[in-house]
Amino acid sequence: MKRRIAPAIGLAVAASLTLAACGAAEPAVPDGPVTITVSGWSLATTPEFQLLADGFEALHSNVTVKVVEYDAAEYNTLVTADLGAGSAPDIITQKEVKYVPVFVDGGQLLDVSDVKLPDGISGADSYKVNGTQYAVPYRQDSWVLYYNKDLFDAAGVAYPDGSWTWDDYDNAAAKLTTSDHFGTYEHRWQSVTQGFANAQFGGDIFSGDYSYMADLYNRRLAREAAGDQIDFATSSANSPSYQGEFGKQHAAMLPMGSWYVATLISQQASGDADKFNWGFAPIPQRSSSTVANPVTFGDPTGFGINAAISADKVATAKAFLAYAASADAAKLLAGVGITPALTSDEVATVYFAVKGAPTDDVSKFAWSTHDTKPENPTSDKTAAVQSILGTMHTEILTKAKTVEQAIKDAAAAVAAL
Amino acid sequence: MAVTQLGGTPPVTSESPLVGDRGPRADRDSRGFARARRIIASILLIAFALALLIPFFWMVVSSLKGPNEVFSIPVRWLPDTWHWEHYVELWTDTGMGTWLRNTIILSTVVTFLQVLTGSFAAYGFAKVRFPGRDVLFLVYLGTIAVPWQSYMIPQYIMLAQAHLTNTLLALVVLQAFGAFGVFLMKQFFETIPEELSEAARLDGLSEYSIWARIMLPLSVPALAALALLTFVNTWNDYLGPLLYLRSRENWTVQLGLKNFVANNITADYSMLFTGLTISVIPIAVIFMLGQRFFIEGIATSGLKG
Amino acid sequence: MTSAIADPARTPTRRRRSKLALRNTLLGWSFILPNFLGFGIITLVPVVTLFYIALTNFNIFGKGNFIGVGNFTKLVADPLFQRSLLNTFYYSVMHVPLTIVVSLGLALLLNTKIRGVAFFRTAAFFPYITSIVAIALVWNLLFSPDAGPINEVLRFLGIANPPGWLTSQDWAMPAVVIISTWRDMGFYMILFLAGLQAVPRELYEAARVDGANVVQRFFNVTLPGLRPTMFLVTVLLTIASFKVFDLIIVLSPGGNAAPNAATVVLSQFIYQKGFVEAKFGYASSGAVVLFFLCITATIIQFLINKRRSV
Repeated sequence: MKRRIAPAIGLAVAASLTLAACGAAEPAVPDGPVTITVSGWSLATTPEFQLLADGFEALHSNVTVKVVEYDAAEYNTLVTADLGAGSAPDIITQKEVKYVPVFVDGGQLLDVSDVKLPDGISGADSYKVNGTQYAVPYRQDSWVLYYNKDLFDAAGVAYPDGSWTWDDYDNAAAKLTTSDHFGTYEHRWQSVTQGFANAQFGGDIFSGDYSYMADLYNRRLAREAAGDQIDFATSSANSPSYQGEFGKQHAAMLPMGSWYVATLISQQASGDADKFNWGFAPIPQRSSSTVANPVTFGDPTGFGINAAISADKVATAKAFLAYAASADAAKLLAGVGITPALTSDEVATVYFAVKGAPTDDVSKFAWSTHDTKPENPTSDKTAAVQSILGTMHTEILTKAKTVEQAIKDAAAAVAAL
Repeated sequence: MAVTQLGGTPPVTSESPLVGDRGPRADRDSRGFARARRIIASILLIAFALALLIPFFWMVVSSLKGPNEVFSIPVRWLPDTWHWEHYVELWTDTGMGTWLRNTIILSTVVTFLQVLTGSFAAYGFAKVRFPGRDVLFLVYLGTIAVPWQSYMIPQYIMLAQAHLTNTLLALVVLQAFGAFGVFLMKQFFETIPEELSEAARLDGLSEYSIWARIMLPLSVPALAALALLTFVNTWNDYLGPLLYLRSRENWTVQLGLKNFVANNITADYSMLFTGLTISVIPIAVIFMLGQRFFIEGIATSGLKG
Repeated sequence: MTSAIADPARTPTRRRRSKLALRNTLLGWSFILPNFLGFGIITLVPVVTLFYIALTNFNIFGKGNFIGVGNFTKLVADPLFQRSLLNTFYYSVMHVPLTIVVSLGLALLLNTKIRGVAFFRTAAFFPYITSIVAIALVWNLLFSPDAGPINEVLRFLGIANPPGWLTSQDWAMPAVVIISTWRDMGFYMILFLAGLQAVPRELYEAARVDGANVVQRFFNVTLPGLRPTMFLVTVLLTIASFKVFDLIIVLSPGGNAAPNAATVVLSQFIYQKGFVEAKFGYASSGAVVLFFLCITATIIQFLINKRRSV
């Protein structure tokens, strides 16, 4: 697997070197040899860590960046154990935003407010705890609507043009459904419904009043009842993967995060997904008033610095953070199908030049223009509230309770926290 | 009737009080009835065994499917094309040899230590009466009652300070001295009649010799049960090795396979099941070989005379 | 039966008795020590630390203060804790007897010389070694409310509205119990099989000569002979039921909790508070409650067992 990625990295690094000269002002890196370590996961399928390490080393010949691999599924537990034992790397990658307050509260992260961030970078606020910046975003996935152009053509339905509201989505799902496939597939995660409700319907997950979620839940239940998408209970019993449902053309549409672009490209190349024409569009909106800058949700991925780092490495580590957030790094990341936190037309060009990527304007618009709200607001209550909302999600979709009752019960549970 | 001692054992005989033959008193009719009953029992057993194996069967079949074929609606039990190459890939692309060696070493050492120290301590608990014994035993049992997740991080930090993390030794000390073996062996030692030890004491044997020469030979089935269960649990453990073993050359089979699967771009679930199938087969074989100790255990009566 | 060294024929003087006690203590500890060295350092120390952490508001990194019994008063009022406590009892009350009956039945059935017994025993043990991921996926399919084979059989038998099993509030826990019994029976079967080997064969012979039938032999010979094994299995099974965790996690529909937190158990509560919400002190207090529940159940079983064996 590594071999497949290596040449791509080499090219990308070379490309970035020519642009490096005009890089932003960075904290001074010491002259002598320095080695810093960065935590990462699944290195063979997640090339971003090695890519950024190589890019940074190319800028500073005296610096060595070593990536320490952790298990992806148990990443936070293992990093926590190593931080506790004092054996964690210098730079701690923040895989999930909801753990940031935990690390901060435990005194494990350094204040990085003095790292200069480029204008227009998204996701930085997710790493602010009590007004202090504890990490720097380099990657920002957001949710879009994937669609199968071939199935749309067969059904005679017009492609999503960037102006869709949820009504348009419901109508299309009904028209696209045949005996062979469903109109759309919505995965079992609670964020598939709640993320959009939080982002578009003025929701505050700490308010305790979740009536703003009712509309999207009622729509989903109606689609399930009409047979336009697979119902939640069947999906739970059969545990289909969203890659299989969309990639094998069992569904014509799929709301999903932008990370799936790279997966779909590689699965189509390997034959694990069917060959068909596809694109992605902005996620349907609550009303047409927001279509110019579509509202969606997503969490960033970022780098923080271990509070136990030795003093002589701090400047180098901060320079690495600044580099990861820079326009140069963004172009590197886009070149391997990753959505960087900092986007621009230039970055978009690199991203859509990847072989197998869609080339239409709506896809490009959806990728570069959006108002992405955080999926997990940074608070020490986020985890507890999300778990209550997870129960609510199941209760509504398994029809164990009515939408109103489940919302009422969730409010009571949140109030009792 | 001790069937094992008779020559020319009939093909289907039983020592169980439930599926028993009716002994020499049985007349012809009930003999025929008993045979019919045995056949029905066998058919039921076979049906039952097949039902038990369904998830395993599903796991094996899934390992031969394409990655997006594993879960689908409606359910497909057989793959479109059989991906035998998953097994080849797994053997050639991974450090399977090293991981297998590590796992065998780990499971064997843990099992050996658990059986040895467990049965040794069990003798102290079962056959020696001293103040505080029952309280100490309750402390042993009490630690089983605490979920590992609730103290695994403090334990990890403690072992990290002893520079034991990232070694197989950490997992040995973690798993070899559990309360389970002590408890199991204590219960079995208590079934062994006291007269046997008394007689040995009159012959001048020390308590240690009684443990080695009377207790151990008499508890072969219990030792086999302990050894099998310990071996299987160590072999299948995932979270322990994941937390402690960070460098590739120290990994166990479970850890290596999961990692290989997670790092494989194209194949996901089917490869996972390939790994799971491969990791189950050795312990199934070991179990198949080890289970015979449950019928060849020594009847206490044999030693009494 | 348990007291070995004291010789009842002599009536020892007080001094001799205390000397004997000392000798027995040393002897007992000499047997226990090799195991205790490992056990005491590796397991006991962190477990005892946990009791202190339960009295603090530590986060996972050990940052926080001593707050006395604050965690426990908060636990009592926590609806999720109450729910998980009830669910844990509900699960255990169903799972413990069911597993004992099934695994003992299997052990009796397979403690024979039937042809292929090695295969059957291995088959019965397979659920225990099959990956929990595969188990969850297959059982989810079997229990599928609309198209699952189990409900199709139920409909065929004339039950018009079969339960929603894992997606239903009332039936999720019984479904979990069925699956966990199916999974655990092989493990406890092994213990019973080993225990059955220790029942003296001549007792069966004697009972048979006395004209005892199968059922009488089971109750008068097998069960009394299995008493130490039965104690072992009951205690282990009760503790394991109170601690049940991984199966519940993988069986929850869509990765979320079942409706109305119908299957949330104590271990899950502890994990949620400790690892998801990072309230390590609070999670530890839940673990301490779990510890005392198990210990109480064990002591009760210990006393019952002692009275029976007298």
